Amino acid sequence: MHKSLKKYFPVFILPVVAAFAIAFAVPFLVGIYLSFTHFRTVDSSEWVGLANYIRVFTQDETFLNSLWLTVKFTAVSIISVNVIAFSIALLLTKGLKGTDFFRTVFFMPNLIGGIVLGHIWSLIINGILGIFGVDITYNPSYGFWGLVVLMNWQMIGYMMIIYIAGLQNIPAHIHEAAAIDGASSSRELFGITIPMVMPSITICTFLTLTNSFKLFDQNLALNGKSADTSLLALDIYKTFYDHTGLRLAEWHGMGQAKAVIFFLLAAAIAFVQLRVTSRKEIKH
Amino acid sequence: MASIKFKNVIKSFDDGKVTVIPDLSFEIKDKEFVVLVGPSGCGKSTTLRMIAGLEDVSGGELYIDDKKVNNIAPKDRDIAMVFQSYALYPHMSVYKNMAFALKLRKMPKKEIDEKVRWAASILNIEPYLDRRPGALSGGQRQRVALGRAMVRNPKVFLLDEPLSNLDAKLRTEMRSQITMLHKRLQTTFVYVTHDQTEAMTMADRIAVMDKGVIRQYDTPQKLYSEPADMFVAGFIGSPRMNFIDCTVIRKGKIFYVEFSGEMMRIPSAKAKNLASYENRRVILGIRPEHITEHTGGEIAEENCVITAKAEIAEMTGGEVNVYFDVGSRRCIARIRTDRKIASGETVRLLFDCNTAHFFDKDTSKAIGTV
Repeated sequence: MHKSLKKYFPVFILPVVAAFAIAFAVPFLVGIYLSFTHFRTVDSSEWVGLANYIRVFTQDETFLNSLWLTVKFTAVSIISVNVIAFSIALLLTKGLKGTDFFRTVFFMPNLIGGIVLGHIWSLIINGILGIFGVDITYNPSYGFWGLVVLMNWQMIGYMMIIYIAGLQNIPAHIHEAAAIDGASSSRELFGITIPMVMPSITICTFLTLTNSFKLFDQNLALNGKSADTSLLALDIYKTFYDHTGLRLAEWHGMGQAKAVIFFLLAAAIAFVQLRVTSRKEIKH
Repeated sequence: MASIKFKNVIKSFDDGKVTVIPDLSFEIKDKEFVVLVGPSGCGKSTTLRMIAGLEDVSGGELYIDDKKVNNIAPKDRDIAMVFQSYALYPHMSVYKNMAFALKLRKMPKKEIDEKVRWAASILNIEPYLDRRPGALSGGQRQRVALGRAMVRNPKVFLLDEPLSNLDAKLRTEMRSQITMLHKRLQTTFVYVTHDQTEAMTMADRIAVMDKGVIRQYDTPQKLYSEPADMFVAGFIGSPRMNFIDCTVIRKGKIFYVEFSGEMMRIPSAKAKNLASYENRRVILGIRPEHITEHTGGEIAEENCVITAKAEIAEMTGGEVNVYFDVGSRRCIARIRTDRKIASGETVRLLFDCNTAHFFDKDTSKAIGTV
């Protein structure tokens, strides 16, 4: 059996390797190559070296603005989503009445697609702002905070479920031992509960970070019309598709360079975050 | 150092729909080692958790050192508890686990260090102070849990089945360590277990519980020799006591019990208690270790010999457990013998009425003191 597996394993892994190569590896490598070119289509490219990258940082007005906005948005979202989700999870693991109902209610927004959610919140926010005679595109800060509200509304339920699982994983005896030892509620929270849910915190921070950093459809639907509230993913999209004419190949090249920078940033941040939080996890 | 008093304590769950302790009254004396023993679900852990303050008291009064503690938080009761699962904080080192409660009480660092090292040296866990619980064996974790309780120098030590996760050898070792600890600390110990051997070997007094009620609260020796009812008689002792249906018969002034066609004379000291049971059926209780193999010789009047088939014979070293039937009851005899008794062999077993117990068939209560 073991011998046969050894002999035929390439046959078994071939479908997965082929699918991975066609759907991920090849487009990824071609994408990196194209970031060093000006191109209209994939097979009509002209090598320009680092020109696209230099232009992104020196001539593009929107990229650095989007990058800064994305960093701010990600930071605010990570804190707000995780603090609120963890607080709700704490409440819903206290054995109060109606817990199951509220768990379902809080999780439901996660089942709605990003574009639909963006339009719904666009209607709600503009409905409120309309009272004051402005709309979400009027002031970039409305768009930013609108996006934060939307992100919270969508992500909190999901993160809450992960935190609930983490909290329920703490043996009841640990809390009882803390009560007998004389720990106050805050001491128990920060000294016992939070360190013991570090695996959940790692997962939730990672998910919130990556989801916030690469947020696209909600951004497009909620404030796609405003250039000032484009996060990185939407900015890349706009670089590709909002331009026509003779310089289209240059815009494509620049969009591709932005996408590569975007990938490197996302990977680096996620890597650092995973290292930092997982170091705090309890090793059994 | 403290006494504990339960005064008509009631414990119920689900808004009073399920009552697990209907009415509990007993007292644990200062510095006493009391073991609460009973089968699963008998309410022993609930009783312990009420002392700890981890369960509310639904009714009645609970006192620690004459102070009513019904509404006092666990941290203010000056108790320490060792849990079955040890409940050590997995993210803290052994040192920090032991120091945690002292740190919360804002004890100076030097004093904390002294106390932790003192407890660690008694329990032989000094080399592990920097390790986390995950890197320790079950026995070492158990000692850390004991150490965490010790450093507190509490009025009352509560131990909830602390040895049940350990293997047999370690359990025996830790048993003597806990007994020594009690002698050394001179504190009140309340210990919960379902293992009657633990209870018998460690306790000053044992409370045998069943369905939320204390069936008997006495010294291990008394529980063994004078069980109050069939439950206690069956629970204490291993293998458990044999129960045989029999009839009390009087011939002149002498009382006998008859079972399976055998007659056994009841010693006069016991006969007066059985006088009112003449011609009635009672339960004869006899411990397996009080049945011996009859190898010949004269049979005393208070003894009787029955011939039985050894359905199963289990060799346990210097003893053989022989399973045999009396009527429809399966009985067991623990026989000290050097010879090999084979399953299926016919054996002659001697019952000594001086060591027998008698129970009322209806109430299951012991008839007099045997």
